[in-house]
Amino acid sequence: MTNPLPRRHSNLWWVSRRPYFVFFLREWSSLFIAIYAVLLVLLTSKVLDGEASYRSYVNDVLESPVLIAFHAVALLFAVLHTVTWFGAVPKGLPLRRGEDLVPPVLMIGANYVIWAAVTAVVAAVFLLD
Amino acid sequence: MAQDTVKLEVFRYHPEGNGETLFDTFEVPYREDWVVLDALNHVKDDVDGSLTYRWSCRMGVCGSCGMMVNGVPRLTCSAFLRDFLPGPIRVEPLNGFPVERDLVVVLDGFMEKLTSVTPWMVHEEERTIDEGPYRQTPAQLAQYKQYSMCINCMLCYAACPVYSHEEEFMGPAVLALAQRYNLDSRDQGNEQRYPLVWADDGIWDCTFVGECSEVCPKHVDPSAAIQQAKVQSTTAWMKSFLLPFGKR
Repeated sequence: MTNPLPRRHSNLWWVSRRPYFVFFLREWSSLFIAIYAVLLVLLTSKVLDGEASYRSYVNDVLESPVLIAFHAVALLFAVLHTVTWFGAVPKGLPLRRGEDLVPPVLMIGANYVIWAAVTAVVAAVFLLD
Repeated sequence: MAQDTVKLEVFRYHPEGNGETLFDTFEVPYREDWVVLDALNHVKDDVDGSLTYRWSCRMGVCGSCGMMVNGVPRLTCSAFLRDFLPGPIRVEPLNGFPVERDLVVVLDGFMEKLTSVTPWMVHEEERTIDEGPYRQTPAQLAQYKQYSMCINCMLCYAACPVYSHEEEFMGPAVLALAQRYNLDSRDQGNEQRYPLVWADDGIWDCTFVGECSEVCPKHVDPSAAIQQAKVQSTTAWMKSFLLPFGKR
């Protein structure tokens, strides 16, 4: 007859090691991105309501110190989210040429190239009037 | 000047007692070519014969000697003392498992999950000896070979915070092994495995922490196997809507 000690785990596991903490931040980044998405939808709605509504939303809401701080933090989380998910691409979608795996660095690099290209297009559309 | 000894802090649990756990500290000789398992063997042979732990091959093949070394799952036969200087070195049983005694964990749950995913070759029609072996190309072998290198050391389970909190989770090694057979061109057992592997307690419990792959001594990369299975599962689910007449 055995008398095993029950499984042990700590609710502070996410600070016990650096990789867990990075994972923890990556998961929480989703919350910030979700809130940003809601703000973006609201912005679109205000644009549809007309210029006065749009300007009021920008001046009274988006330019408040709290939301400027939020956007700065959300940007950092968005970068973390993006970088960690680009790093995950070769794991989820490994490509093979015959017996050989396409080097992960190539697959990750391709994502950065596409990211840069899309960013350039968006910047060109909005900044070059 | 190089140090002569190093301190080991070893987790102790005696099932005959009142459930208390403690850490015993042992001062063991430091040798540059000693691994943590050598130090444990020294303790058992010369200091305290009641210290209980598993080990066998001493060469990273059998997968028996997995323990937490300074909080990280390691095969103690390949964890050199020199990498933990000046010490102390804390040795604990693998995270996430019940402890039988000292550093020995209970394997029953893992073994049940392992056998549940049909981790063997399934053929719709068995070939006769006269028909020869089941052949495959090197490219077909490359699809799953990495996932076939698992030695069931369970370090990946000890590194997985999901498994620590959800005992029902099938876990990295079992899911990687299922994927190994699902990707094998000679196997036709996918339909038997999908209900377990594609379930909530299967791949969808995984939140992609990724530490299972980092600690794997055989570079099996179970997190990659699980993410690939998620893609396959999602693709099949979408096809069930887009191709409702069975052409999946």
